[in-house]
Amino acid sequence: MDLNDEDLIRRTVEDGDQRAYAQLVRRYQSQLRFSLRQLCDGDQGLADDMAQEAFIKAYKALPAFRGDARFSTWLYRIAYNLVMSHKRKNAPDVDQEAVDRAQAEETVEESQQLGMARDLNSAMSSLSDAQRQAIHLCMQRGFSHEEAASIMKLPLGTVKSHVNRARAKLRSLLQPWREEVVNG
Amino acid sequence: MVNFEQRNTKGGTLNDVAIEGKDPQFDAWLSEQLQFDEPYLDDDGFCESVMAKLPAPSKDSERRASRSQYIAVLAASGIVAWQFPFGEVLSEAARQSISLYSLVGVGMLSSLVVMAGGIFAARR
Repeated sequence: MDLNDEDLIRRTVEDGDQRAYAQLVRRYQSQLRFSLRQLCDGDQGLADDMAQEAFIKAYKALPAFRGDARFSTWLYRIAYNLVMSHKRKNAPDVDQEAVDRAQAEETVEESQQLGMARDLNSAMSSLSDAQRQAIHLCMQRGFSHEEAASIMKLPLGTVKSHVNRARAKLRSLLQPWREEVVNG
Repeated sequence: MVNFEQRNTKGGTLNDVAIEGKDPQFDAWLSEQLQFDEPYLDDDGFCESVMAKLPAPSKDSERRASRSQYIAVLAASGIVAWQFPFGEVLSEAARQSISLYSLVGVGMLSSLVVMAGGIFAARR
């Protein structure tokens, strides 16, 4: 039976039903891990560790979750906080080997992708970190500007500006592809 | 067919559109491309590893869960007892001279069935 997030949270908190929480983990693991991989500059091991820690932290804090925001927004906020604080603490100790390995794997994968996807990736990588995160949260994950602002801990106006600038840049970079699609 | 550039200049200058970012069709296209480009990451033991590291559920929630199960069992038993025609059964037993032991046996058996049903219902 596929219960919604609210029911699963209620079961987890009120009945101590860990199977309900496992369902939430399965529901969000792929999206969260993928998002964190981007945030961790391709370090997949670090991204998975952070995602795991975020789920554990969310579980412990679940009784305090009031449901003012969606569970996914709240989970992303926890995960982003963890990654940011990890980055602050470990700024000089980037696991360069892991990053290089991931990038090498990415290059192999990229070479297998179609042209549009490759250009999209390259256009995305031309954005600043904040712009990329804002576009990822709003246009890929479907979060509202307000939700993205609360996840990224930035003022709403700043997030809107990041999204608009990123969108304008992507539009100019991807225009040939877009025209090709529009013109058939 | 109207191309992207021409369509942009319809509602305002390209600069206006670029600055304000109001181009729902481009947004929809970009969003679609971004999502299409995203692979699904297999669980690959991730969920199990998270679950193994979770702290045990609190005693309170366990107590609450078993309390609600007991309440459900009691409620189910109450409904059965309320509907069960004890008077008729007893008088019929007396008329057919059925022994008290058989009656107790039947009673215990029915109680077990009711309790099992109640527990099953509460767990669901």
